[in-house]
Amino acid sequence: MAEQRRIDRCHMYPAASKPRLYHCMEREILLDELSSTKHWASMHVSDHSGFHYRQFLLKSLISQTVIDSSVMEQNPLRSEPALVLPKDEEAAVSTEEPRINLHHLLEEEVEFSTDLIDSYPGHETLWCHRRHIFYLQHHLNGRFPHSMTQLSPADSPGGTLSDLHLIPAGSQLSQAMEVDGLNDSSKQGYSQETKRLKRTPAPDSLGLEMEHRFIDQILSTCRNVEQARFASAYRKWLVTLSQ
Amino acid sequence: MKLYSLSVLYKGEAKVVLLKAAYDVSSFSFFQRSSVQEFMTFTSQLIVERSSKGTRASVKEQDYLCHVYVRNDSLAGVVIADNEYPSRVAFTLLEKVLDEFSKQVDRIDWPVGSPATIHYPALDGHLSRYQNPREADPMTKVQAELDETKIILHNTMESLLERGEKLDDLVSKSEVLGTQSKAFYKTVSFFSKARKQNSCCAIM
Repeated sequence: MAEQRRIDRCHMYPAASKPRLYHCMEREILLDELSSTKHWASMHVSDHSGFHYRQFLLKSLISQTVIDSSVMEQNPLRSEPALVLPKDEEAAVSTEEPRINLHHLLEEEVEFSTDLIDSYPGHETLWCHRRHIFYLQHHLNGRFPHSMTQLSPADSPGGTLSDLHLIPAGSQLSQAMEVDGLNDSSKQGYSQETKRLKRTPAPDSLGLEMEHRFIDQILSTCRNVEQARFASAYRKWLVTLSQ
Repeated sequence: MKLYSLSVLYKGEAKVVLLKAAYDVSSFSFFQRSSVQEFMTFTSQLIVERSSKGTRASVKEQDYLCHVYVRNDSLAGVVIADNEYPSRVAFTLLEKVLDEFSKQVDRIDWPVGSPATIHYPALDGHLSRYQNPREADPMTKVQAELDETKIILHNTMESLLERGEKLDDLVSKSEVLGTQSKAFYKTVSFFSKARKQNSCCAIM
């Protein structure tokens, strides 16, 4: 029911802004999928596919944001809120471009990861997922600092469609996600990735600090051997990220 | 994450007696369910037989983890779970169940009881509720009484056996397993085959 209402809201856009209509619907579907797969993922904590799907959804939402911002740069007139007569108060509010706060979404995902890691010690999948989320946050902070994710037309993010390639995919990302921090930078793919990482701004130091504190807390209280191993590997990985 | 069986047993001097059991074999293919159930009973009894009083242990067998708690008064509980289910919660469940059982069922009935004669209806409800560990047991992170370092870990069922003992022999001699189940065991690597036939994804 709720989903249909949300999608109906998307149809209130004038026909002229078709791209935004499609993006609006896709965004709603992505957000919907994100919330509906949460329970499944939490009940299958060693099944990577569930978390991989969530990573895909988040990456898609981030890419969407990049596309939207460039569309808005090119078409400043279209960034006016859609002119549709609202039937009631609720519709009036919702005719504005639905705004998703990407930072908030990623923070929620981090909280979700924390909760699962605490409740179910010793599952590598959960730690892998955490790396992906941290990595996405790191990218987002580089491309879209906090103030810009509300997509107000006044601030043009400076990001363009070509920045999409910076959301890593496939083998490059998996190399960056190596479980045990690589010291052997002679591996070509790895050093390409570190060069790329070094080009982007340093990871948000507050975020890093929080992650280190999280690792400390895990290491000091956990009694599960695997959990300790994964926590230490995560720490090593974070260190390589900030070098 | 899944629980497959929850059993209460008595570790007698001569043999282990099954007092009450609850099963969830819905994830197994229909025709295998009764064999699976029998094997879980067989396994639970064997584990209790080979565990000392006053100990907790987790026995790993392929994708399964069997958690056992044998109390000093010889009352024992076994829960068979998958490898995602948090063991901390499994032991909490065992503690609760044995505590409740000992209050509801007279001690005098334990050595000679059987599922037919013992009156303890709550077991199925516990198994069902604990399928979702976070609903059933809002993770009390600090379990003061339970020292996880004292839980014995066995990497295979074989490690429970005496030198020279074979699981195959125990299976053939077992009174708990029907002929069909014994035949089934011979033809396949029981646990992994029975499970995979009914699952669409392999758990990593």
